[in-house]
Order: sequence, then C-alpha cells, then structure tokens
Amino acid sequence: MSGALSVVHALDAAGAAAAGSAAPGLVDARGICVDFYLDGVRQRVLEDITLSVPKGSFVSLIGPSGCGKSTLLKVLAGLIVPTEGRVSVGGIVPHEAAKRRVIGLAFQDPTLLPWKNAIQNAAFLLMTADDKISLADAEARAAAMLKLVGLDGAERKMPSQLSGGMRQRVAIARALALDPQVLLMDEPFGALDAITREEMSRCLLEIWQRTGKTIVLVTHSIEEAVFLSGEVHVMGGAPAHILETLPIALAQPRTTDCITESAFKVAQQRLRSLLIEGHQRRPA
Amino acid sequence: MSQVTLGTPARQASTQAEAMKRPLPDWVLALALAAAVTVLWELAIRLFRVPTFVLPAPSAVIRSLIENWAQLASATQSTALEILLGFVLAAITGIAVALVIVRFDRFGRALYPLVVLFQNVPKVALAPIFILWFGFDLAPKVVLIVVIAFFPVAIDMLVGLQSVEPSFVALMQSVGASRSKILLDVRIPHSLPHLMAGLKVAITFSVIGAIVGEFAGASRGLGYMIQFASTQLDTPLIFAALFVVSVLGLAFYYVVEFTERLLVPWAPKFDATHRAQDS
Repeated sequence: MSGALSVVHALDAAGAAAAGSAAPGLVDARGICVDFYLDGVRQRVLEDITLSVPKGSFVSLIGPSGCGKSTLLKVLAGLIVPTEGRVSVGGIVPHEAAKRRVIGLAFQDPTLLPWKNAIQNAAFLLMTADDKISLADAEARAAAMLKLVGLDGAERKMPSQLSGGMRQRVAIARALALDPQVLLMDEPFGALDAITREEMSRCLLEIWQRTGKTIVLVTHSIEEAVFLSGEVHVMGGAPAHILETLPIALAQPRTTDCITESAFKVAQQRLRSLLIEGHQRRPA
Repeated sequence: MSQVTLGTPARQASTQAEAMKRPLPDWVLALALAAAVTVLWELAIRLFRVPTFVLPAPSAVIRSLIENWAQLASATQSTALEILLGFVLAAITGIAVALVIVRFDRFGRALYPLVVLFQNVPKVALAPIFILWFGFDLAPKVVLIVVIAFFPVAIDMLVGLQSVEPSFVALMQSVGASRSKILLDVRIPHSLPHLMAGLKVAITFSVIGAIVGEFAGASRGLGYMIQFASTQLDTPLIFAALFVVSVLGLAFYYVVEFTERLLVPWAPKFDATHRAQDS
C-alpha cells in the first residue's frame, strides 16, 4: 500500500502536497486514461489523471469547454469506466459507491420530472435508491433538504412554476436527500444568468459549510472556482490532463467579501493564465 | 354572435373595444365562421340554381337530416361501436408495440423497421381482404381501424419513451435502478403527453377506417348509408350522413382531448416552459 502511494506521490506531488497528507482522499483517482471511439477511430480524451479529494474539501475542476472535465466527473461518478487507471470513492469502485448512496450527482440541466412537485422530485431519487423507505420518511428528508437549499415554502410547486435557479436548487436537494458523502456537480449553474449564478454560488457555499459534504464542482467560471474551492485542478491540452493544481489561499469560512482580497485576485490571475495556456495547447 | 357577424361598423368599433378587454372564445369565432359559410352556400345555390343532386343547399341537407333521423341514428350507433372498438384496440396495440420495442432492445430493433414497412402498405387496399377473412359484420371494420390507427400511437409513444433526458436515466442507473423501474417510474409517465398526441391522430384515423371498412362491404352504418344514398343519387342524404360522421368524429376527438387534460395536466405547461428555455 505504501509503495503504491509513493508512486502516486511522484506522479502528482503538487496534488498530494495540497491535500496536506499522503492518505488517500475520499475520492481518489490514479492514472486515469479514457479512450473514446469517434467514427471508429480510437481517441484519447483523458491522459494520466491523478487526483485526490480529501474528505470534507471543496474541489473544482476547471478547463475550457469540451476539454474532458465532464468526462472526468462521469468517471468519478462511475458513469464511465476508465480505459486505464483506478478510481475509488470512499474506498470502493464508484458505481458501487453510487449504489450505496455515497455519491450525489447534479448536472447542468436540473432534469426534474414535470409531473411531480418540488418535494416529490427531491424525494424521487432517494425512493429509487432505497425501496424500503416510506413515502413519509422520504418526503420529510426531502423537505429538510429543500429548506437547506432555501426553497421552504415552494414544496408543492410544480417544476413549470419554478425559475431556472429554483429548479437547480431542487436538483441539488434531490442529490442531498441521498445523504451522500460526496457531491459531484457538472456545471450546475451553467444555464443560469449571471445574478442567479452568483446567488447559487453563495447557496452552494452555505450548503458546504453547513453539511461538511465533500464537493467536486466542474465549472468554466474562474470566479466561481476561486470563490468556492479550497483547491482547483486546471485541465487542458489534448488529450486533457491536469495542467496544475492550485490551492486557493483564502480563509475559511468564506463570505462574499473575500472577492475583494488580493489573494482572490492573484488566484484569479493565475487561473486565467493557466487556462489561456491550456487553450493554446489545444489543436485548432 | 349576430352582433359580431352582422354588426354595423359603428357597433363593431364598440364591441372591438370590449373585445380588447375580454377576447371572444375560439369556439364562438369558429361557429360564427361556419354560420357565415352556410349562409353564403345557401345563397349561392339559390342564386345559381345548382341542381340538388349535384350540390344540395344546407336547407335541403337539414330537411334530409330530419326526414331520415331514425335511420341515421341507428347507422350512427353501428359506426360509433366500430370506431370505439377499433380505436381502443389500436391504442392497446400501439402502446404494446412501443413498450416492446423499448423494453426488449434487440427484438425492438428487429421489429421497428417492419412496423415502418407495414405502415407503407396502403391499408385501405386491405379492406376487401379483411371482408374475405372476417365476413361482413363488425370484425373486418375493427381490424381495418386497428391496422390504420395503431401506427401514430406506436410512433408517438415510442418518441415519448425514448426522449427522457439521458442524464436523468444515468442518475437513476447510478443509484441502481433497474431497466424496468426506469421504464415504469420515468419513461411511461414521460411518454403520456406524446401518447395523447398520438391518440388524437388515431381517433381521426379510426373514423376514416370505419367509413372505408363500410364502403368495402357492409349492411349498416354511416359509410354504408353514404354509399347507398349515392347509388340513389340522394345527395342531400349523403351530405346529411357526412355531417353526422363529422360530428361523431369531433365528439370522439374531444373525449380524447378531455382525457388528456385529466391525465396529463402538466403537458402544455411542460411544453411551453421547454420552448421558453430553448429560446
């Protein structure tokens, strides 16, 4: 075990150092490679990705659109089996972890069921995952999660009566209702307008501070990544790999005031130049 | 209503101002247009002295409707029974075909092209064969309706079942939901608005199927009456029967639409919001 760890350490010294210890993270990926077949041609999408997400941390994956960060998140969620490498979430393979409700998922599209109201939608996945839970228990849990995401009072509203931001809150409540150890989010605010997006960032920060869940966020917003994360993995290149892992040296607990701090601006600048570098390395 | 159709310009201006506040319902406008066309039709027939056996005036059609009321009523009963039985069986067949294609992947891939191929057989041409196989009574008409009307149900239902967001399916699979559970809990309810659209097409196809089936060989029904009247050059009766068929079809259509409102109240809102999001 220690031998394997030292290999990882050599591969991703920066990541391991940022994690603060050599212990495997709650989400642990080592040497992940993913190949896709495009028109019958084998194409490498992800190249040798190693990352470790410590329990209770907030980590962002940032990179240009289409660079493969969503693919990486799907690998962590157990939705894609990597061609090479090993992934574990809570010490087991991701798709087993998902079945044991270790993983909660949220995508850019909230994908609520239009025939169910907010509370039924928030309870739906929990009831799917656990066929022994009673409707009352599931809905009680869903109601608590809706309250946590700031939707108390909207429990009986249908998705068509909710705004885009509120629908995404329901989707997050649905993931939280599973009581997962880690929340994997793929550009959950990508389809929202700028103001709603900022509001949702604050909401997510509050959820993280209150629940202590481990959160992995895929985003292409630099501000969002800096504001929320303890650590940002910058992806780029073709095939995509981790260009750099940047610890964000902002004090916790954070508030919206932190965006005026110089550390915020420094991190922002650094991410910007890394993203530009990654962008230039992509084939036209 | 007469205020709208026959109003003087001054009066129209005042009703227009009221209409701005509360627009007239569509059905009032439709009835007004129908009344206007009927009046024009009556006038044209009288003005140009069109022979009744070529094109009867609305008044002649109404007279024929009243004179042949008993006959038309019993013919309506037989045709309505054919439509109802055929439509229900077509709906069941269409739903079953869609479910089988979605649930049993490999069999579905084999079945789908054959269903499409079968759809391209001119079904009307099968009517005489069905008479040969099933006799002159109810059965051949019902079979013809099923064959004509199951297709829109199957296709629309299939689209509905398959158009569930892949990310939502992934979400369910990730927590270990089985294929059957996803089908039952998500795909089937998701498909209902699509199914209802298919059923609305199918009910109009069913009316056509019943009339064609009766043309091919029957001893009762509205289609049979139309054919019989045409051999007698009784054109007003043809039109009277056509009118009854249309009203019957319309009644069936609205029964389906009413069912839609009960069954899938979220459907129109759902579509509207999705369109709003896309734009």
